[in-house]
Amino acid sequence: MAAAVPVLEPAPAVAQETHGSEAQAHGQPDQTHGGQQQGGHGNDGGEGGHSEEENTGNPGAVSHSADGTYLNFEPLGIVELPRLFLTSPEDGGIGFDAFASTKAALKSDAYTLAHPDSAGASLTHAQVQEALADPHHDYLYFTAQKAGAGSILIDFSITRHLVAVFVTALLLIILALGVARKYKRGVGREEAPRGTWQNMVEVMIVFMRDEVAKPGLGRHYKSYLPYILTVFFFILIGNLLGLLPWGITATSNIMVTGTLAFFTFLITQFSGTKEYWQHTLNPPGVPLFVKPFLVPAEIIGLFTKPLALAFRLFGNMLSGHIVLISMLGLIFIFTAQFGTGVGVGSIFVSVPLTIFMYVLKLAVSFIQAYIFAILSALFIGLAIEEHEAEHHEEEATGPQPHDDIDDFMDRSEHFGPKDEPMLGGDGETKPTGQTTLSQTAG
Amino acid sequence: MPLPPTPLAQVEPPTPNLLEPNVGLVFWTAVVFLAVLWILWKYAWGPITDALEEREERIDASMTKAERALEEARQIQAENEKNRREAEQEARQILREAREEAEQLREEEKQKTRKEIQEMQEQARADIEREKENALSELRSEVADLAVQAAGKIIGENLDENRQRRLVDDFIDDLPRN
Repeated sequence: MAAAVPVLEPAPAVAQETHGSEAQAHGQPDQTHGGQQQGGHGNDGGEGGHSEEENTGNPGAVSHSADGTYLNFEPLGIVELPRLFLTSPEDGGIGFDAFASTKAALKSDAYTLAHPDSAGASLTHAQVQEALADPHHDYLYFTAQKAGAGSILIDFSITRHLVAVFVTALLLIILALGVARKYKRGVGREEAPRGTWQNMVEVMIVFMRDEVAKPGLGRHYKSYLPYILTVFFFILIGNLLGLLPWGITATSNIMVTGTLAFFTFLITQFSGTKEYWQHTLNPPGVPLFVKPFLVPAEIIGLFTKPLALAFRLFGNMLSGHIVLISMLGLIFIFTAQFGTGVGVGSIFVSVPLTIFMYVLKLAVSFIQAYIFAILSALFIGLAIEEHEAEHHEEEATGPQPHDDIDDFMDRSEHFGPKDEPMLGGDGETKPTGQTTLSQTAG
Repeated sequence: MPLPPTPLAQVEPPTPNLLEPNVGLVFWTAVVFLAVLWILWKYAWGPITDALEEREERIDASMTKAERALEEARQIQAENEKNRREAEQEARQILREAREEAEQLREEEKQKTRKEIQEMQEQARADIEREKENALSELRSEVADLAVQAAGKIIGENLDENRQRRLVDDFIDDLPRN
């Protein structure tokens, strides 16, 4: 909903005749300053013409998905978020500054702005004042920088994606504790679960336990189940939040998904058995001359797995949003290009397409949360179940390279309670494994 | 076309970078996630999964129990049936035995009575025989005496007692028996 406004703006930029139109795209009243921008970008070599082309695309869609230190409730307005800086002042040591908003930080004169492309060269005082006066909150898009000596060590500012993370966490805690209270009271423990909420959550918990944790982690699933559940619900709620009006998708930020994947990485490495490390650093049954090639690949593989997790989630959530906004934006682009008639006509194509995409995104929200959870479970399972699995393999077909994902997808079926085969494992686990395999490969 | 740059010109706001690194965000996300993980681990997932397991176990147990109870009931029923059949058979047997016994008893009684009657008959017959014998011998001696007396009277002369007696006896012996 909020997207409609920024989307409207690039329409004149499509014409692309003057820099004025580009400036207008960002709501700048003073057209003569467009030249300055062009000059500034010229310094960056390849970046010079780039920004022009970029604006012919859809900066509204991108800025809608990008992080920022504000909450966008357009057309109701923009709410600035607090800025927290861990600084290194000129007299040494470590300083900490907190401001209620970016505006407050700039007005205190302790901070100034810089263009992210300008390699740390800050804007002049007049430019900052002008940006502050701008009705479109232009100053929010610049990088904050310490005025004078000293520098910002870490920017701990609350960003809009962080707000989404907070809201996600809060919702998750309320939801989970609410449901847990029911179980503690005995509903669901001594009697059947009651109510939509409890039943829905229980279905997902049981699914996560029986279809994700048990096949992926085997006998030790109990100690990892809380992590799998938390990560699943955290991502799920984060994904779904982005589908609300004015919603922000925390999971469309690579930093957030990267952090989550980093936890999976940490858990995987710290719960890795001796066999796991041995297979990674000194794979047995491999000719000596292959090892110099295989071991680095194995080590790279340790990092690519969580990295793929992070980028998959990030890309899926981001692309969905951009496609949604772009489809709605088509209405305005058609209006600008071909007139109002065509624009109104395109509504009948764009809106159903958008609704279709929205439903698709709803499905993707669940699917991506599930994929993140099951891959986390499989990666951890691979690290902890190496020993047993290897024995099975040796009995059957002799030693095999353990980094073969197909192989461990198959192996995951043999996990579970020690002597009895996993129920439903044959039907459920394998197809899922194959889906994720293709995703990992791609 | 581009105007000469002015030193105080307003700068075009940058296009947002979707891959911008942000250590602060990573830090906050990690803190929030760890907090959520800890809280949920302790207060939500633990109790929930425990409750689910408990419920599953209970359902499992009660199903097993029900099955066992059904099995037991079936067994008891079979036992009852067996007992009933046995009791019936026993009753029938007892009845039959009683009847047989009664029959036997009656037979024995009958036999005994018959034997007694026979014995009594035999005794009676023997008595009769003996009485008859006695009576006959008495009669014989009486007859002999009478005959001797009569002969003495007739002859008038006393014969030798013993010779006379032998004569009479011979005579009586010559008489047809009975």
